[in-house]
Amino acid sequence: MAYMIFEHGSRRAREARLAARLTGWRSSSLLGLCIVLGVIGIMMLLLGMALGWFVLSLAAVPLLLVVWDRRYLRRLVAGKTDSMDSRLEASLLAVLPAHLTPKALALAVAKSRGGQFMTVRLGLSPNFLAEMSSGNPDEVAHIWLRALELRGGSDIVTGATLTAALIDTQPALKAVLPHLQLDEHDVAAGAAWYQHLDELIQSFHRPRKTGGIARDWSFGYTPLLSRFGSNISDIAARGGAPDTTLESHVDALDYLLKTFSSNGRQNAALVGPLGSGKTTVVHAFAERLLQADSDLPSSLKFRQVISLDASALISVASGRGELESLVNRLLVEAYRAKNIIICLDDAQLFFEEGVGSVDLSNLLLPVIQGGGLRIILTMDEQRWLQIAQRQPALASAINRVLVPSASEPQTMLVLQDQLINFEYHRQVTYMYQALKTAYRLSERYLYDQAQPGKALRLLETAATYAEGSGVVTAVSVQKAIEQTQGVKVGASTDGAERDKLLNLEQHIHERMINQTRAVAVVSDALRRARAGVRNESKPIGTFLFLGPTGVGKTELAKSLAEVYFGGADRLIRLDMNEFVSPDDVRRLIADGADDPHSLSAQVMRQPFSVILLDELEKAHDVVLTTLLQVLDEGILRDIKGREVSFRDAIFIATSNAGADHIRHHIEAGEDLEQFEGALTDELINSGQFRPEFLNRFDEIVLFRPLKPEELMQVVDLIIAGINKTLEPQKIGIAIDDELKRWLVAKGNDPRLGARPMRRIVQRVIENTMAKRMLSGEVQPGQTVQLTMADVPDSSR
Amino acid sequence: MLPLSLVTWWYGTGWRDQVELCGSRLSRVSDRFSVGLLLRSLFSPFRQISAEDATGRSIDVQMRAWLDNLISRCIGAMVRSAIILVGVLWLSVETVVAVSRLILWPLLPVLPLIGFTLMTSGWIPWHI
Repeated sequence: MAYMIFEHGSRRAREARLAARLTGWRSSSLLGLCIVLGVIGIMMLLLGMALGWFVLSLAAVPLLLVVWDRRYLRRLVAGKTDSMDSRLEASLLAVLPAHLTPKALALAVAKSRGGQFMTVRLGLSPNFLAEMSSGNPDEVAHIWLRALELRGGSDIVTGATLTAALIDTQPALKAVLPHLQLDEHDVAAGAAWYQHLDELIQSFHRPRKTGGIARDWSFGYTPLLSRFGSNISDIAARGGAPDTTLESHVDALDYLLKTFSSNGRQNAALVGPLGSGKTTVVHAFAERLLQADSDLPSSLKFRQVISLDASALISVASGRGELESLVNRLLVEAYRAKNIIICLDDAQLFFEEGVGSVDLSNLLLPVIQGGGLRIILTMDEQRWLQIAQRQPALASAINRVLVPSASEPQTMLVLQDQLINFEYHRQVTYMYQALKTAYRLSERYLYDQAQPGKALRLLETAATYAEGSGVVTAVSVQKAIEQTQGVKVGASTDGAERDKLLNLEQHIHERMINQTRAVAVVSDALRRARAGVRNESKPIGTFLFLGPTGVGKTELAKSLAEVYFGGADRLIRLDMNEFVSPDDVRRLIADGADDPHSLSAQVMRQPFSVILLDELEKAHDVVLTTLLQVLDEGILRDIKGREVSFRDAIFIATSNAGADHIRHHIEAGEDLEQFEGALTDELINSGQFRPEFLNRFDEIVLFRPLKPEELMQVVDLIIAGINKTLEPQKIGIAIDDELKRWLVAKGNDPRLGARPMRRIVQRVIENTMAKRMLSGEVQPGQTVQLTMADVPDSSR
Repeated sequence: MLPLSLVTWWYGTGWRDQVELCGSRLSRVSDRFSVGLLLRSLFSPFRQISAEDATGRSIDVQMRAWLDNLISRCIGAMVRSAIILVGVLWLSVETVVAVSRLILWPLLPVLPLIGFTLMTSGWIPWHI
């Protein structure tokens, strides 16, 4: 319990306070005084005054202080005693008062670099810590204890660690964490982030030995490679971007070092999904080769890694022959230089014919098989498999190294490292919540890359949506994904949207008549989703609409797409009568490049959609089984094995199954609710649907045939639609009740519902209007009144 | 207390720190001139200018390759020797500076005392 003691008057504490006092102008003044005394002393000596000796020697006093300050006080290491003042960061120790309370600690950490880092990164206001901390000195010991637990392997407790300890031990502060979308692990991770950046900065300042001026004198000139390649070793020697050595990369890096140190074929193919860090592994490899004091064999030390860009090569070579000749010269130059490791980034471009790629297998295969030239290829797994299938000789000649996608903790580490450069260039600051949100959302919505690449890409995009003074928050990341992917991810806060959600039924009923229960269930599902209270690992809603044709099942899906999802193009419609064989499953999960209209491809492009599965009962069982998983978990694996998320989609399946029963029950005067259960049982018993399939739907909604008075309203909607079409010509139509009743009588068919109504209206109203407009009877600004007299005899 | 802390550091950790500083500076200079590497590769061909393999070719070609190699090795040896010479000189100067610095280091705190003694003696070098 010795660490519970804090000695305000200890030597280290006094030194810390002195260091704080000596910063800025005081330090410069001391140096100035030293120079002035030195100059005066020398001048006095030149004038023959012996006093000059003393004045000159007095310059040593400020010089002592300056050296002591710069070499010792500013780098105050941990003390040797067991009291807390031996462990605290000097800048923090300097501002701590003698009588400590949690509030006093909070005030002190707010002035420290680490404390400020934490407040900005976690989104706390500067005075927040002090305002919410208690004034009870007895609680300080608990805070010290927690800070010591949180400091990890470090000797020093930083301002960031102490901030985390304060938040963790002060109930009032801890209670606020959920409002900031944080928990205690995130706070500890924030402190670790600060510590890690501190270590990175220190390692950056450490002198590096990279071989000196004669390093490459025993090796050949490489003018052509300098022109067409990118020297990764040069980038690494200049400092480059900080490379995070991830656990998932350590194996790959070790394997590369072992392969290139051995006497066998010195080549490797780094195989992994785009964004998994294959290029980062190559950079880390190049950096390791440049470390003069590493234990690498001398045959490998100081080798240069040069990356060749396929597209740059293809763009300068006019024909295939010229390209082959150029690549050949480059490889010969690398071979002769004797210190070059060639890296073919996106190597598939050198092994396949296509737009922007040329098959140079005939040239490269002998080089790789010969093993004379050191070479690294990078490509994604799919391409590797394709090339290996086409060129088994290549696959057997090259050492394959897997670079897997990074896990969440690994991704967070990479983001924390890589964003330093980005923050500097874009003048923004990323909050911790933004990083977490970027991982979560990129995992869910970005398919074309792996982690950490996709989270990093999303965070870079989010910089455009930075708030206030350049702070990139979780909301900035949400906006970035909403803009780029067309989804709605955050809980609804926008006033207009909330109003639309609260009155969704009313908005939908402006487009369709009755079916109030169906409209209510889909509206409720959307409200749950946008309020953030739904199950996020399922689609927004899954509904099966049962009922006769022409009663509004499809119309409801269309209305929903237009009213809430942003337009008719948000409706992904699958006519299930086109999916009647087991082979049709392929069309559901086809790759977007082969079939842009496959379900998986459409949802990848547009995750926030209404998916209409029309006439579901006609689909083949295998197709239905495939859809089971989507309805249940909101995930479908496409043909390439990528997980496509349907968790932002709403599923509406329609079926005419049981339509006759519904009609009979309704005609017998029963309410829908009375026979809902019986109808479902009947559908299962008759084998039309399997029970496990029906169970996957959130709701099974019955649509009843429309009554004559409701069909009158449908006529009104159709006329309103025609008026909307004519609106640019400033012409309107109005029909009287007699004509309306006639249209209902002619257009209503018990088997086809309201569907024939559109045909009748087209034949009678639209044709009549077309003739009148062409004959000049109707002028702009006129509203035409139509009655039964306008109905042509042929239509009656 | 703080002056004592300064003195303790000056003659303890501070002096050791200076030794490390001088050592790291010398090591940096040595790395910059690659003296070790130059010695190991003193007679290697310079920049692989004549690296073309003449094995199995005619005597004439082999002789030309051998001559090319010889010239390349001679040029390499000359350039490397020159750099080794400059490097060694530079290192020597750095070593003298480092040793002086380490000797002067413990004298710095007592300089006012020395200055006072010289003042009272009234000695001025150019007045002799």
